Amino acid sequence: MLRKATQRILAVSLVLALTLLLAATAAAQGAPVERLRIGILGDESTLTPYTYVTGYPGWNLLLLQYDTLYQLDLDGVPQPWLATGAEVSEDGLTVTIDLRTDVTWHDGEPFTAADVKFTYDYFRAHPEAGRFARDLRPLSTIEVTGDAQVTLTLSAPSPSLALGTLADVPILPEHIWAAVETPAEHDFGGVNIGTGPYKLAEYQAGQFYRFVANEDYFAGAPLVKELVVVQFADDAGSLAAFRAGEVDMLVRSVAPEQIDLLKAQEGVTIAQGPLFTTQMLNYDLGRAPFNRLEVRKAISLAVDRQDLVDTIYLGAATVGSAGWIHPASPYFNPEVVTAYDPEAARSLLDEAGIVDSDGDGIRELDGEPLTFELLVNGGDSLRLRIAELVHEMLLQVGMDAQVAAVEQGTWEEAVWPGFDVTQGRDYDMAVWGWSAPVQADPIRISQLIHSDPALGSLNLTGFVNERADALSAQLNSETDPAVQKQLLDELQLIIADQLPFVLLLYPDGAYAYRASVYDDWAFMNGQGIFHKLSLLPEAARP
Amino acid sequence: MLSQARGGRAVQYLIVLVVAITLNFFLPRLMPGNPLALLAGVDVGLLKPEERAQIIEGAGLDRPLGEQYLRYWGDLLQGDLGYSYRQKRPIVDLLLERLPWTLLLSGAALLLSAVVGITTGAISAWRRARAIDLGLLWTMIVVNSLPSFWLGMLLIAVVAVQLGLLPSFGAVTPASGYSGWTHVVDVLRHAILPVITLSVISVPDIYLTMRYTMLGVLGEDFIRTARAKGLSERRILFAHVIPNALAPVVTVLTLRLGYAFGGAAVIETVFSYPGLGRLIFEAVSGRDYPVMQAAFLLFTVAVLLANLLADFLYPLLDPRTKAA
Repeated sequence: MLRKATQRILAVSLVLALTLLLAATAAAQGAPVERLRIGILGDESTLTPYTYVTGYPGWNLLLLQYDTLYQLDLDGVPQPWLATGAEVSEDGLTVTIDLRTDVTWHDGEPFTAADVKFTYDYFRAHPEAGRFARDLRPLSTIEVTGDAQVTLTLSAPSPSLALGTLADVPILPEHIWAAVETPAEHDFGGVNIGTGPYKLAEYQAGQFYRFVANEDYFAGAPLVKELVVVQFADDAGSLAAFRAGEVDMLVRSVAPEQIDLLKAQEGVTIAQGPLFTTQMLNYDLGRAPFNRLEVRKAISLAVDRQDLVDTIYLGAATVGSAGWIHPASPYFNPEVVTAYDPEAARSLLDEAGIVDSDGDGIRELDGEPLTFELLVNGGDSLRLRIAELVHEMLLQVGMDAQVAAVEQGTWEEAVWPGFDVTQGRDYDMAVWGWSAPVQADPIRISQLIHSDPALGSLNLTGFVNERADALSAQLNSETDPAVQKQLLDELQLIIADQLPFVLLLYPDGAYAYRASVYDDWAFMNGQGIFHKLSLLPEAARP
Repeated sequence: MLSQARGGRAVQYLIVLVVAITLNFFLPRLMPGNPLALLAGVDVGLLKPEERAQIIEGAGLDRPLGEQYLRYWGDLLQGDLGYSYRQKRPIVDLLLERLPWTLLLSGAALLLSAVVGITTGAISAWRRARAIDLGLLWTMIVVNSLPSFWLGMLLIAVVAVQLGLLPSFGAVTPASGYSGWTHVVDVLRHAILPVITLSVISVPDIYLTMRYTMLGVLGEDFIRTARAKGLSERRILFAHVIPNALAPVVTVLTLRLGYAFGGAAVIETVFSYPGLGRLIFEAVSGRDYPVMQAAFLLFTVAVLLANLLADFLYPLLDPRTKAA
């Protein structure tokens, strides 16, 4: 009797366990999720290519509705998307692109080659959407050369065509946009027709967006049926709502001091990985003492990058490479040496005759003490702490970098007046940083160091170096990946040796989400987890 | 005489309005920072000089300041508040979307703080120097020193996050599809915490004004007369003391009504509430000049109107001031 009962209980338990296991695997295998709520900061307006506000997450939200000809895969490498492939001519000036024929717009109209030509011409005729007009600069003409084919003619070979143009410009429907004369002010009635995996169903300004899945998406129906994007006014508010379970994921990277707190909370997962944003020291190379290479080298040797990562970012960052490129990037040159050696810094300065002659602890150069202003935007607490620690580190080798915390606009205007390097600069040293796209496309290294402002539009320190000019100019027209890699390798060595700026660290991306609601997020190298691939079935991810 | 005084008042208000509008135009332009970053987006540094010029020109920022100023007046007189740099939408739309939420929040808070402030102020004065008066007085002084954002964050942390009783942010549950009564209840639930925060920080002012003026009234001869006539304490309080003490309190409340249009920037930000205050906060941090100007203009006009209302109400409440 007893045995029978035990057997029965065993059998029932087994069935129960099996059912649970099945249910669990079904969830893990990406069964559709009805609704996912995510939090962003601020309003991104009506989310057309002419109205979205920020590069992140505005551009990412834009591309939920629209598609590009190429799409970045999880390594950050462009792969065919609306296109099936592209062929570049021998001289690099003609690019033939074949397109998919199974794609429809949200309103059911077929996507055609004419839409692609229309879009590229439209963005150039209406350059108010600065990013996409800039992306299309290499292009001289675009023609429809077949049922599903366009041919681009370039004015010069373009090494970042796939990354910077094909994977960046959202394709618009000609049948909607042909009649639009003032794109920034046009009222589309809240409906943005694209080919993307999501359709914008509702927008309440200052409150939220509601997207619904495009079940007919060519790459496969999205895993989340309804995506609610909530606008928060500040970090603290979004964090509280996440902790209260009112949103399921935060698009903004979590501050270092919050990571462990959130990890300790039940049901919260943190996706952490390399991000291509930077924290660095910029200085005016036209001014003493930064015009002296020994001083720059001493600064780079004196800053303890590991200490900045540990103390300020609590480990959630990667130590900077003096050669600019992130070690997690496929273009990183492992030969670049980034050393911390305050003793070497001191002897370097001693040998150069830059010594402390009056015994106040600060060295003098040509009779002037090495005292200068270290400008930082006071609104950014992490940068402010970087500045304070750098001040202490430089004091150890006899330099007095006096921290000056100013309002964001003042700081920007001093380092980069009018966002135009031809207007010069008005600062000694500043804590600075670039957003991820500047690093994600390695070709843009030339913008940081080329001495001609036409090419070196981000050369904020006034760096002039003949070899670097020649190499970066060549890089801008080189289409052979192997040669590109060689050029990038040498450029990184030059940067690490000449120090046009001192790269301190790369903050990691840390994104909080509830795995019980949705667990199929995918970390894109250098870009984080909020992108359209994260919402698509695994088979659809290139 | 009287109409001349009124005419003088009107001219005064007009001058203040013109000065305010002028300041509105120039102040944001004197702030450091460049609006080009917003006009052109994140990749502003990659623009060619001619593209940069085209964008500046499109926004009219290349014109001499004087011309921009005249143009601003011209648009204003036609009721055109312009386009938001940041959101690329008509500013009138932005303001109209936000105004109802701010009015709901500030209106409810004004009402609540008036009731609480007047009642506690009256009790305090009536029971002067007794335990209840001292207790209330000390409480109000402490409350008065609380930073509003701190109080808001505390309420969020305890009521919304720890206890899960009320939502922590926003004016409605996003994309809930609620309608009818469920929608009304949803709106009210979202308003509770911000309204409490706003009310708590405004009560002390009203309380102190009420207590102070009522103490003054209690010392007046006519109260002594009323007591001598043998009127009941209740009748003295409600028929003589409170009505005579209300005039300054009403002035305080009317002025608050004006400020209410400016929204409660801090509270609306803490609660991510879609009101005017948060719009102003976002416009200032994003250097969205046209939005800043329009919001401050609305704010200025509201404060002026509230002043006008106070000027009008005061003689009704206190006939002695009518002659002036």
